[in-house]
Amino acid sequence: MTSHRKWAALVCTLLVLLPWSLSDFWIFIAIEVLAFALYAMSFNLLLGFGGMLSFGHAAFFGVGAYSAAIFFKRSGLDVTWMFTLAPLVAMGVSAVMAGMIGFFSVRRSGIYFSMLTFAFQMLLFTVAMKASGLTGGDDGITGLKPPGTLGTPMGYYWYALAWCLPCVYLLHRLVHSPFGLTLRALKDDPMRVQYVGVHVRQHQWVAFVISAACAGLAGALFAFSTGNVFPSWLNWTASATPVVMAVLGGVQSFYGPAVGAAVYVVLEVMISGKTEYWPLAMGIIIVLLVLLMPTGLVGRLKKVDT
Amino acid sequence: MSAGNSDFVLKVEGISKRFGGLQALQSVDMHVKPGEFHAIIGPNGAGKSTFFNTLTGLLKADEGRISFDGRNVTGLAPHRLTRLGMGRTFQITRVFHGMTVLENVQVALCAHAQQTWKVWTAASGLHVQRAKDLLERVGLAAQWARTAKTLAHGDQKRLELAIALASQPKLLLLDEPTAGMAAQERLASIQLVHQVAQQLGISCVFTEHDMAVVFAVASRITVLHQGKVLAVGLPQEVRASAVVQQVYLGEPVVTDGQPVPQG
Repeated sequence: MTSHRKWAALVCTLLVLLPWSLSDFWIFIAIEVLAFALYAMSFNLLLGFGGMLSFGHAAFFGVGAYSAAIFFKRSGLDVTWMFTLAPLVAMGVSAVMAGMIGFFSVRRSGIYFSMLTFAFQMLLFTVAMKASGLTGGDDGITGLKPPGTLGTPMGYYWYALAWCLPCVYLLHRLVHSPFGLTLRALKDDPMRVQYVGVHVRQHQWVAFVISAACAGLAGALFAFSTGNVFPSWLNWTASATPVVMAVLGGVQSFYGPAVGAAVYVVLEVMISGKTEYWPLAMGIIIVLLVLLMPTGLVGRLKKVDT
Repeated sequence: MSAGNSDFVLKVEGISKRFGGLQALQSVDMHVKPGEFHAIIGPNGAGKSTFFNTLTGLLKADEGRISFDGRNVTGLAPHRLTRLGMGRTFQITRVFHGMTVLENVQVALCAHAQQTWKVWTAASGLHVQRAKDLLERVGLAAQWARTAKTLAHGDQKRLELAIALASQPKLLLLDEPTAGMAAQERLASIQLVHQVAQQLGISCVFTEHDMAVVFAVASRITVLHQGKVLAVGLPQEVRASAVVQQVYLGEPVVTDGQPVPQG
């Protein structure tokens, strides 16, 4: 327990100090890693802990990004309030959206749950494409860069970190709580869980909403980092990203998806700099990693981690 | 309707269930007194599973009424039945394979204490002693740290029993508790359940194929045949019943399912 805390303190310190050792370009990449690590961990709350494979998780990343972007463009607040509230708005809107989508989706399990989340996501993608007045349609929303210190790579990195760390801590407490234990039981056997006196759907629904809120935060943080939001963020191909990251890092472990996200993002940067066929190279690497390390990178390093 | 004020812990009246053209259950009655160890037997296709799944809330009866502990529970969802004190185990053992033996019981204890919505407390410290006591009771105390999937089949059955006991049931429903076990294990297994149930004052209803197991522990037997109650009574009465013998010898039964010895 104490050694666990020491590790956590060490990693947090390193994360805070990290930008001093990186160039602006790599700080920008580090921000992407932060956002996608949070995204993959939130996704893994459902897959790795609850046993629910959402094929539409990009919906909540995208909704978070769009709601933060629209809030940025329309609220007219000053910078301090804007960047204090925008992530909260993103989390709130994603949570409400997940409340509605989850209400229907958790009524089915297995592949039917996946297909429902997929269908709702495509619906939101269509809205993002067609509701041009609000979303900018095909062109998305651009010009989202924060001004001043917050607009510098280092400033924004700390800003993103300040949002990610508490959120990850919250998820960590959650998966080790009785609620998290119930989720793990649900992954193993929902039928048995009913017969210990648990309302299965309610628990799945709440997990879905919490997961979506965190994904929404990740979307907002990434949007302000790149300065844009595009409808492709809501497209079904975008939902594969957290799946790959989680599987790459290891779905059995809490931190696995974060490691998966870091490896994925860095590999993508390195390979896409060398060849335009980088998806091919990525594909081969992922196939090899999954075949050789079916429990993921972290699962490989650490046999049991809960 | 006041709870707890009844001669019967479970009272089933006129349960019928139809699947398309198949009348799986036809006006089935069953009364279980507190402390009883009530066996449901019958040949394959007699409706045991349908009856069991109706009792435990997985299936909704077309007609009839189920009272548990003096309360009408007809059509209640499984988690509600469990909270009222009706526990169950499954024919094919269901435990949480990826979790440790201790966690398996802890999750049931957390559910019983209505703590599953707690998101900030660490679960690992909750109900540890109570969970270990339950594991002790079923003879799994030494294995508490193992992952459930690494347990032998018989030990998984014990674990499932501990999970069911964690909800402090008044009535335990066991679906083929000795299924998949070697003949010599079966008696020991059912005797463990019997002993624990008596110690804790839990009534039991169980379905079973193995007659040696049934007659070893049952205090009362209901015989189902073609969806109807063929006989109800004490073990010796059922064993002596000509109609029951006919059914188990595989001879065609012409009777219209009049419950033979009523008593």
